[in-house]
Amino acid sequence: MSAATTEIEVRHAAGLHLRPAALFLQTAGAYEADIRVRNVTRDTPFKNAKSMLDVMSLAVKQGHLIELKAEGEDAAEAIEALQELINSNFGE
Amino acid sequence: MIGIVIVSHSPLIAEGVKDLASEMTQGRVKIIPAGGVDDSPAIGTNAERIYQALLEASNPEGVLVLADLGSAVLSTQAAIEMLPEADQKRILLSNAPLVEGAVIAAAQASIGNDLEAVNAAAEAASTMNKLQ
Repeated sequence: MSAATTEIEVRHAAGLHLRPAALFLQTAGAYEADIRVRNVTRDTPFKNAKSMLDVMSLAVKQGHLIELKAEGEDAAEAIEALQELINSNFGE
Repeated sequence: MIGIVIVSHSPLIAEGVKDLASEMTQGRVKIIPAGGVDDSPAIGTNAERIYQALLEASNPEGVLVLADLGSAVLSTQAAIEMLPEADQKRILLSNAPLVEGAVIAAAQASIGNDLEAVNAAAEAASTMNKLQ
């Protein structure tokens, strides 16, 4: 069992809502690892990165910092993929 | 991957909710609108039309139906009863709010959640605080 964490700024104008949230969910959903995410800027607790409702409830707006943590065989790959998605500004 | 059927009195609402929910899925989930009575813009629901949508969305993992209210629910129940009994078990009529529920259901379905899990997530949409 391996674990990985990271902090990253969301630069997308919509924050982590609707389409970006769905892309985030699909990226997280492609991995077996248990993935949690929290909004550092708002100091929220960790929520399930594979739940659309949880992700939207974090109310991540443009410029907010989020923290990701993953546990499982593919934890490192999962974190890397989510980082890449956010850094690419969700492919836009 | 489960299928989703959107039932509304208004054909435009059914189409619009389908369009919005489809934005969440990367084309991974079949979402079929079943709005209105016939091919006119008239407001109402039609069990036969919903039945056809159920057939179109049909797949082994099941179909989640989201409806607006009142006779949309009754017509959906009538449509489900038109299916052979074995197929009825694979259809779940959700208590979720239509728009929020469809968006969340589409997103959860797109990551391969099963029918019950997708419905639970969609129904939880009614607890979402959108004034944050």
